Amino acid sequence: MPPAWMADGTSKFLLGTDDQGRDIFSTIMFGSRVSLTVGFSAVLFSVFVGVSSGLLAGYLGGWLDTIIMRIADVQLAIPAILVALMINGVVAITMPQDLQQDLAIYVLILAIGVSEWPRYARVVRGSVLIERRKEYVAAAQVIGIHPLPIMIHHVLPNVMGPVLVIGTIGLALAIITEATLSFLGVGVPPTTPSLGTLIRVGNNFLFSGEWWITLFPCVALVLLVLAVNLMGDWLRDALNPKLR
Amino acid sequence: MSLLEVKNLRVEFPNRRGTLLAIDDVSFSIEPGEVLGVVGESGAGKSLTGASIIGLLEPPGRVAAGAIFLEGERIDDLPYEKMRRIRGKKIGAIFQDPLTSLNPLYTVSKQLTETILVHENISQEHARARAVALLEEVGIPAAERRIDSYPHEFSGGMRQRVVIALAICANPKLIVADEPTTALDVSIQAQIILLLKRLCKDHNTAVMLITHDMGVIAETADRVAVMYAGRIVEIGAVRDVIKNARHPYTKGLMGCIPIVGHDVEVLQQIDGVMPRLNEIPKGCAFNPRCPDAMDRCFRDRPDLMATGSPSTAACWRYDTVTANG
Amino acid sequence: MAETALLKVRKLAKYFDVSKPWLARVLENQPAQILKAVDDVSFEINKGETFSLVGESGCGKSTVAKLVVGLHEPSGGEILFDGTNLVEAINRKDSNLVRRRWQMIFQDPFASLNPRWRVRDIVSEPIRVFKLARSSAEIRERVGELLTQVGLSPVDGDKFPHEFSGGQRQRISIARALSSEPEFLVCDEPTSALDVSVQAQILNLMKDLQRRLGLTYMFISHNLAVVYHVSDKIGVMYLGRLCEIATANQLFKAPKHPYTRLLINTIPDMDMTRVERAPIQGEVPNPIDPPSGCTFHPRCSLANERCRREMPLLRNDGSSLIACHAVEEGRHT
Repeated sequence: MPPAWMADGTSKFLLGTDDQGRDIFSTIMFGSRVSLTVGFSAVLFSVFVGVSSGLLAGYLGGWLDTIIMRIADVQLAIPAILVALMINGVVAITMPQDLQQDLAIYVLILAIGVSEWPRYARVVRGSVLIERRKEYVAAAQVIGIHPLPIMIHHVLPNVMGPVLVIGTIGLALAIITEATLSFLGVGVPPTTPSLGTLIRVGNNFLFSGEWWITLFPCVALVLLVLAVNLMGDWLRDALNPKLR
Repeated sequence: MSLLEVKNLRVEFPNRRGTLLAIDDVSFSIEPGEVLGVVGESGAGKSLTGASIIGLLEPPGRVAAGAIFLEGERIDDLPYEKMRRIRGKKIGAIFQDPLTSLNPLYTVSKQLTETILVHENISQEHARARAVALLEEVGIPAAERRIDSYPHEFSGGMRQRVVIALAICANPKLIVADEPTTALDVSIQAQIILLLKRLCKDHNTAVMLITHDMGVIAETADRVAVMYAGRIVEIGAVRDVIKNARHPYTKGLMGCIPIVGHDVEVLQQIDGVMPRLNEIPKGCAFNPRCPDAMDRCFRDRPDLMATGSPSTAACWRYDTVTANG
Repeated sequence: MAETALLKVRKLAKYFDVSKPWLARVLENQPAQILKAVDDVSFEINKGETFSLVGESGCGKSTVAKLVVGLHEPSGGEILFDGTNLVEAINRKDSNLVRRRWQMIFQDPFASLNPRWRVRDIVSEPIRVFKLARSSAEIRERVGELLTQVGLSPVDGDKFPHEFSGGQRQRISIARALSSEPEFLVCDEPTSALDVSVQAQILNLMKDLQRRLGLTYMFISHNLAVVYHVSDKIGVMYLGRLCEIATANQLFKAPKHPYTRLLINTIPDMDMTRVERAPIQGEVPNPIDPPSGCTFHPRCSLANERCRREMPLLRNDGSSLIACHAVEEGRHT
């Protein structure tokens, strides 16, 4: 059934229905929820892993730095989608069928999270290398503070700025990655709606004239990503003490 | 005729919240072959004055009023191309950081010969010979061999010598030097100062020496202008200004510099800080910090006036006209 | 009556390995390169005294400062703080007891305060780390006292560092340094980045605090006039070694080491005497590959064959210590 403002549409189904009679508007809302959850969790995971490894690598240096950065370098050479697919594939082979369904979401979050951490690690390490040389760090070392508290209380607040900006871009990217993976059929299980699965399903009906089934989820995805980016800009400015 | 004449120069920085007045009615002149020191603390406007003269004022900064004359001809309102030709040919420039003043990707030889060829119509070999001679003149040993090195292969002091060579290669009449020795070790500073003095005497080049270091001024300058909050507060022969300062700010400045051989328990202090550009007080800019401020100082802004000694100062204390009448 | 030495430094050395990465070295067949930033440095600082280290870039004075506060570990020699071995003391579990007795003030007022911390947290950090106060009310009060002591106001504690000028930030650094009530303050070029009038304010403040609180200072600077004004005793360093140690008066009135004389010659003639002075030769050589024997010999008018071969050691010469063959052989006058 087409959207409400066209002929044949009713106001009960504002954006129309799909081939099985499900309301597009409500599936978009549910799908967005799933996309946001997956995207947000994946970003949190990659930020945590990336920032920690970047902080340790940059502050402690030496062989730890070399190991972490080489792993990051190698991983960056592989496209993120491929990494996510690889992890998905490995899990699909190693885990028993029944568990797979339940844990699919978590595996997805892990896959997307792992594919993105090197980006944060690189950026954080660069900032840490600069901050480490500054005299406020030396001032803390003089009074005998242990490296870990210095890293967390002194250095971390000063390197988080770029992380917030990249994080919001990352969130947008994670949502798109999830949508892509779901579109390819290797993301969320087929029973869970997400913007990606909606777009995929709707794609099949594009040429038969029922354009709304794929278009509105696409528009929703774009709006979601845009909103996330704008919020990230605002957040970074709001947290900068120099602008208060 | 003076080599350089600056008349009532006014430099503004328009921004979203209004217009910042960075240089307010500054006038001075430089005679051929003389070294004029321009001294002041950070924010006083001395670097901006130098930049206005060379024509390298960064937008949105602009010359809002006044005029700058080089050898009688006006240069502050010239189009970019004309100013570019004057820069280098008639005015040379030396900046603070020798590392960023030279292009790290080109050899010294290329940078020197390129500059020479821009201003003179001679052959490539001729230009190179001149470049080697210049390097020898600024005191770089084994110049013939070292000219083909890159800037990073020289030490800091040697780099600054190369920068000086670049500045004098077209035989300019005036060199504007902005903190030329600040980034160097003290023993190198002394060498560079001697070099500048010698070159200026040999080529009869005038120098506008901008610095915050009174010691460099004492060693190098003939006359000195003291700047405060975008204005000149005192100007005169270097000996007069240093030993017999007239303006309260200059007096305070001289008093707070530690001098070897002068044993003081407590250095003289000027309370407060130089006002920000958007917070300059009415009347004399120094009035909040001046120990000798009178009523008039809070109302009217003083111009440079005679002080009974050879230097002039912008201070109402020396205004004999109204003091008597 | 023997003066009590608060700090004794004996044959202190710090070497850095600045060789190229292992693989590059092996492929290009190059030897390892060791930078002797500090070598065979010995001096004493008495309680209540101000001892200054002067020298040009690469002389190692900042490295000595960092060694003395425990930021670097020495490659050789020993540091005795009030009789106890410093390196051992800071590696013990109760190192806090010793660490709170000294503090450091840095050169760059814009990098020495954490831009994300409020001033009161910056100033109170030593108090919290060394557990010197119990309640947060006590800490707040103490921070207010300290800020007043350095010429700021207690309400400044709520602000962030970027709201202050360079001179005010140095005052905050000083307040922080004083918060743990130390006896010994190491000041690494504390006024080099400040305007001359602000420098005067900070130097006056530091002298006043020294008198009132009985502090001992180790002052690092390249500015000889400032060093003249603040110091009781001065050590001159060149390429990691000490050339001369003398009282301020002696050093400036009758310098003996040729390098000290060269440095004194560079002091600007603020009295406008216009006396001709000998031009200075040469530049500080690359510290990674210093000249043989006495590292100053290429620039020294008194250098002889022995100077080219043999490194001079610090020797007593009257009441000062000089490391120079020419002085030892009586050739220097």
